[in-house]
Amino acid sequence: MAFTRKPQTFSASINEVTIGTGDKAVTIGGANILPLYTFDAPAKNKVAVGAEITDTGVDRTLPGIASYYEGAETMAEIAKRASEMPGADFVALALNGADPNGDNRPVEECVEIAKQVADAIDVPLVITGARNVEKDTELFSKLAEALQGKNVLFVSAREENYKTVAASAVMAYGNKISAESAVDINLAKQLNVLLSQMGIKPESYVMNVGSAAAGYGYDYVASTLDRVKDAALSQNDVMLQMPIITPVSQESWAVKESIVTEDDYPEWGDRETRGIDMEVCTAAAVIAGGSDAVILRHPQSVATISGMIADLM
Amino acid sequence: MGKFVVIGERIHCISPVIKKAMEEMNPEPIVKRAKEQVAAGATYIDVNIGPAEKNGPELMKWAVQTIQEACDNIPLALDTSNRAAIEAGISVYNRTNGKPIVNSADAGDRIENIDLAAANDAIVVALCSKAGVPSDNDERMVYCQEMLERGMEHGMEAEDMWFDPLFLVIKGMQDKQMDVLEFIGQLADMGLNSTGGLSNVSNGTPKHIRPILESATVAMAMNRGLTSAIMNPCDARLMETVKAADIIKNNFLYADSFLEL
Repeated sequence: MAFTRKPQTFSASINEVTIGTGDKAVTIGGANILPLYTFDAPAKNKVAVGAEITDTGVDRTLPGIASYYEGAETMAEIAKRASEMPGADFVALALNGADPNGDNRPVEECVEIAKQVADAIDVPLVITGARNVEKDTELFSKLAEALQGKNVLFVSAREENYKTVAASAVMAYGNKISAESAVDINLAKQLNVLLSQMGIKPESYVMNVGSAAAGYGYDYVASTLDRVKDAALSQNDVMLQMPIITPVSQESWAVKESIVTEDDYPEWGDRETRGIDMEVCTAAAVIAGGSDAVILRHPQSVATISGMIADLM
Repeated sequence: MGKFVVIGERIHCISPVIKKAMEEMNPEPIVKRAKEQVAAGATYIDVNIGPAEKNGPELMKWAVQTIQEACDNIPLALDTSNRAAIEAGISVYNRTNGKPIVNSADAGDRIENIDLAAANDAIVVALCSKAGVPSDNDERMVYCQEMLERGMEHGMEAEDMWFDPLFLVIKGMQDKQMDVLEFIGQLADMGLNSTGGLSNVSNGTPKHIRPILESATVAMAMNRGLTSAIMNPCDARLMETVKAADIIKNNFLYADSFLEL
């Protein structure tokens, strides 16, 4: 008997969420297949790739990054350059300088920077905060107001501040948010339930279920992603059908492999190459696990991952 | 495994309110009960119009349309011994949220309801009995096999045959309870879906006792692999038990608010 292929599609599907406005707006989610299983059915939207920039400036110690951003000095110039990065679908502004335990940049300054960035680009904007609950609550509220109409995605609301962030960013100013749960699948679902009980519509939020650089507890991320997709698709769990965004860059450029110099570890070779490798293999893994968008830093990582997506989706 | 399927039993012509509403074709009491059950977490709503010998097809069509229009096309179980009424109900049924359930067939006089389900791409409740209560599980299994074969002959998918082990009343048939649970386990081992009228077990017991017996039964039966029950979703204890058992079986991912979902 001839082999008949039976495509594995699900009656359930991942929600679609659109960020940005106009021709360059990006929609993620929508799939009713397992991640990258495009031989079963077409994925409705491709995984989106974001080019990360930060308010603390370009890391010009890395030659590849320095040369890509050469001549771009102001935040507007840097943002414009990032938006033109081959393979990038959106720009992700990381307000690392806002961290109260670091530069503690005032909210007003952050708003000013975000506005400069938003005005300089025509692709969607994603903003990651200071990763400090109190600061982010205030920051996201003020940013949401200043960026009303831009359909910005704020990463992320957490258990401690989801109410305020959702009320201001989504309900008052019509932007999008992501709900963050640090590799805690039950919390991921609970946050989605709480947001939905507030009246936040499915098309207005995504999830960040947590990330880790490959080799640094990534197995927990993998099993979390698997369980989320299984619940969303095969169990039709509507409280886990939100698309997933994973900020890959921050983790993968913060581990030893990406930090230590070649002088200290000559046997490890070039630092920039190592960082790119960490970023690329982590991103490839979270995409295979079901992430619908990734945030990357290095132009070569963006080119590599967007090439992979183009080949596989 | 998917979530346990709760089929709400509260639209039943034995209830005086429903009986009157069906006689007068008054949608209000029926819609109210349907909505209460949906809000309480029913996946399917059973529509029992009785034999309805006078106007079965007309009544079932009306009931199906009335409930589905009011409740966002909630899927329904069409519950009557009147075959023409089931067919009529299916003819106006909206499948957006699930196939109709033919409730029910058995291995005796009502075996043709399997053919009816097959012809209409419906699910069928297949009662493992022929005439009266089966004496033991061997007999139940014979009926199960007969019906399974019948379904296969008519092109049904096994997953659309929901076998009913026939829950028995505790007060009077206490010694048979474990047999029923054992049989549910046998169905599950064969990979078959199952359902049944859960409230049978507590018939004749005081009102405050009923949810306790039904909750314990459903938890024990879910442990054996029961995939659905025809039951009262408006009973909080019973629904909490089903939801908690679904969590323990990993049919549904835990979140602190799981009881509200």
